[in-house]
Amino acid sequence: MNIDNTASQMRKGVLEFCILSVIKQGEAYPSDIIDKMKAANLNIFEGTLYPLLTRLKNAEFLTYRWIESNSGPPRKYFSLTEKGAQFYKELEATWNELANAVKALSEAEQEHTAGQENANINFNNPQ
Amino acid sequence: MKQVININFHGQVVPIETSAFELLKAYTDSLSRYFANEEGKEEIINDIESRIGELFQGRLKKGATCITDDDVNAIIKSMGRPEEFEGEEEKVASTLGESAGSKTSEQQAKTEVPPTTPTGNKRLFRDENNKVIGGVCGGLANYFGTDPVIIRVIFAVVALAFGTGLLAYIILWVAVPSSASTTIGASRKKLFRDPDDKFIAGVCRGIGNYFGVSAWIPRILFLIPFLSFAFRDRHWGAFDFPGFLNLSFSPGSLIIYIILWLVIPEASNTAEKLEMKGEKVDMNSIKNSVVEEMKGVQQRAEKFGKEASAVVGEKGRVMGSEIKTVAKRGGRSLGDVIIFLVKAFAYFIIGCVSFGLVVALFALAVVSIGLFPLKEFLLTEGWQNALAWGTLLFFIAVPVIGIITWIIRRLTKMKSNRKILRASFISLWIVGWVCFICLIASISKDFKSINNVNEQNVTLSNPAINKLLLTTNSPLKSGYRYNSFRIEPFEAWDEDTVTVKNIEIKIIKSTSDSFSVTLLKIANGRTKRFADTLANLIQFNVEQKDSLLIVDKGIAINRKDKFRNQRVVLNVYVPVGKQIRIDKSVGWGNNNVRFDGPWNEGDYFIDRDDEEHGWESNVDYIMKADGLYTLDGRKAEDWDNDHEPKVKIGPSSIEINDNGDKIKIDKNGVKVHDGSNGDNYRYNGNESINKIDSMKQKLDEQQRVKDSLEKVKHNVEKQLEKIEDKKENETEAVVYPATIFIPFINFD
Repeated sequence: MNIDNTASQMRKGVLEFCILSVIKQGEAYPSDIIDKMKAANLNIFEGTLYPLLTRLKNAEFLTYRWIESNSGPPRKYFSLTEKGAQFYKELEATWNELANAVKALSEAEQEHTAGQENANINFNNPQ
Repeated sequence: MKQVININFHGQVVPIETSAFELLKAYTDSLSRYFANEEGKEEIINDIESRIGELFQGRLKKGATCITDDDVNAIIKSMGRPEEFEGEEEKVASTLGESAGSKTSEQQAKTEVPPTTPTGNKRLFRDENNKVIGGVCGGLANYFGTDPVIIRVIFAVVALAFGTGLLAYIILWVAVPSSASTTIGASRKKLFRDPDDKFIAGVCRGIGNYFGVSAWIPRILFLIPFLSFAFRDRHWGAFDFPGFLNLSFSPGSLIIYIILWLVIPEASNTAEKLEMKGEKVDMNSIKNSVVEEMKGVQQRAEKFGKEASAVVGEKGRVMGSEIKTVAKRGGRSLGDVIIFLVKAFAYFIIGCVSFGLVVALFALAVVSIGLFPLKEFLLTEGWQNALAWGTLLFFIAVPVIGIITWIIRRLTKMKSNRKILRASFISLWIVGWVCFICLIASISKDFKSINNVNEQNVTLSNPAINKLLLTTNSPLKSGYRYNSFRIEPFEAWDEDTVTVKNIEIKIIKSTSDSFSVTLLKIANGRTKRFADTLANLIQFNVEQKDSLLIVDKGIAINRKDKFRNQRVVLNVYVPVGKQIRIDKSVGWGNNNVRFDGPWNEGDYFIDRDDEEHGWESNVDYIMKADGLYTLDGRKAEDWDNDHEPKVKIGPSSIEINDNGDKIKIDKNGVKVHDGSNGDNYRYNGNESINKIDSMKQKLDEQQRVKDSLEKVKHNVEKQLEKIEDKKENETEAVVYPATIFIPFINFD
């Protein structure tokens, strides 16, 4: 069990949610999405983003339109569909539950470790 | 020092170092391997590539003279290598296992993409290096290991002889990939319609682009059938087109054009336009180099196989479950089995019927196309003409095109805007129905009235001859027709005349002792007056030369006068004791002369007499008091039951049979069946003499029957007397005489 693999698994789970939440704020071009995610300190490759967008689009959560750009080929601007908005809400609810759960659990752990440290201190104190 | 090449990358010209290009190619190859199993693979790669193109433009705008290795590496770094993508777990693993990292993919690409000769299974390619037209023959020769000249000669012969060779060549040209697609960076084209340079929908230009020829070549190919209409030349030497393209007015190519229009997508954006023209060194084309192509084919085949098996499986399961339930209940009731069988049978019948309908529709299309030149003779100019076009295009062509398009879309699994397509087809077809109904209504109005018919005498130069021979001097031979379609009553047509064979010849007994001939001209029209004019315009020549009576073979109708069921009745009055013979050249049939025009059935005006039926051409007939006979004494209309004796005397019955009039005497009594009552024994004024004759004849017959009955009665009475005498002598008992009922016979 290595740390990279676990971390990437965790990220993978929330990537779709993150992409949807960026697009939810308004029509977005893939490199905009990358930039925003970078700004939020979430680094992903564009090569990861495109297949995810295509999959979401094929599942009818996203739709896009072509917009001519003055540099290079026309760009695809993505936006949420109604179905996508619904999906996003469900994901959000799940995420909130999960985040609360993780928070609650990790805080409990912290208290526990804190308690252990205290014990250690206590244990070490006599020396 | 590095070499710089210009590539066309997603519609942008990009100067790039060759080594950087190699890197880029390896990267896109690895991408397309990575996404090989992904749904929407093309789209993903397209997106990534267009993003790369954008980044390139960004670099160039900042002042870079060309794209270097570093630039490509930087871009790859930001895009991420496939093994760095965060996709589904097993896919990453499998692709990694498969390609073992793409750092070596440069080498891999070189080994996998084979410009080298494939060693295993041979593939058929068009030979770009050894080509005359499209390299088909060269490719076939390579494939079979023979000299291309041999194949070319075979193709040329087949093309000249049947025209099919040309079609086969074109199909192979389209279907077989070019050998150029095996070399890296060569073009891989797609068939698009070109919206920039179009006459109608850009189909021809697109085809031209695809085959790398000028758009004029496909345009002329499409126009040739139309040109053949213009020049009326059916033999094009080298271009002997397959039959369905070769109809005198050929919407065949029009239909093909429309189908191509519907099936081929339009090149709407720059990328597609480039794909269409197949510019050299396009990332899109590289992506699709042979390995991918083979993979794609394999995938498609697999997908198709899966889908097909799924469909079959599903159908099988439905059938299976049905059978199972039937089998389960089978023990209890036989009814279910029967229901199941009936169901299966019904499906079978429905399948057959719908198949038949489709075939009939296609046949209708072909026939109506063949008939179309005739419309000039039937329809008045203006909106009736427009309705005819509407009927042809919308009522007949639209469903044909619709079915073909549906099949093609089904096969290619296109799913876009199917509803719109269906709706537009249906609405066009409704328009077609409206046109059709209006056309029929309008035409039937044109046939509404009939002219005032009067009998015109034809003067004969020598009416006193003993034998008259009806013949024709028309150059039109029976059995030979200009057109392969034979629609009654039209026999032959060219630009401005059509020959109608609406000719009825009646042989009638003459009251005088010489031949006479009369002619009735009949026509329909919108008004009685118009019909009269048309009837007067009928040209039908009858002329006597010695013993020959030369009649026209048909009625010629020109474009101006139109066909309004013009017809001619030729009455030939034959005196008793004289002979008549009808030459085979009269009429159009092969064995029997057709004496009644096919459209005259049920026509109130023309009596259909017995004399008209069962005649043979080239046989001498003689007129007797009671009708026509052959020289060996057979009655003309008798040929069905000519060997039946007139009077049959059996052990317990007597049967008299004369021309359908039957009198049967047996122990049940006497039965009279008057054949003439059931038949159409109607007479017009000209034939009153005929009627009297036959009445006389009938009376004679009846007298004879009466006599014979009288005889029978007499015999029976005698016998009864005898029996009575015997009985009286033997038993002396009182015997009541047996009564014999002779039913009253009413001979009228």
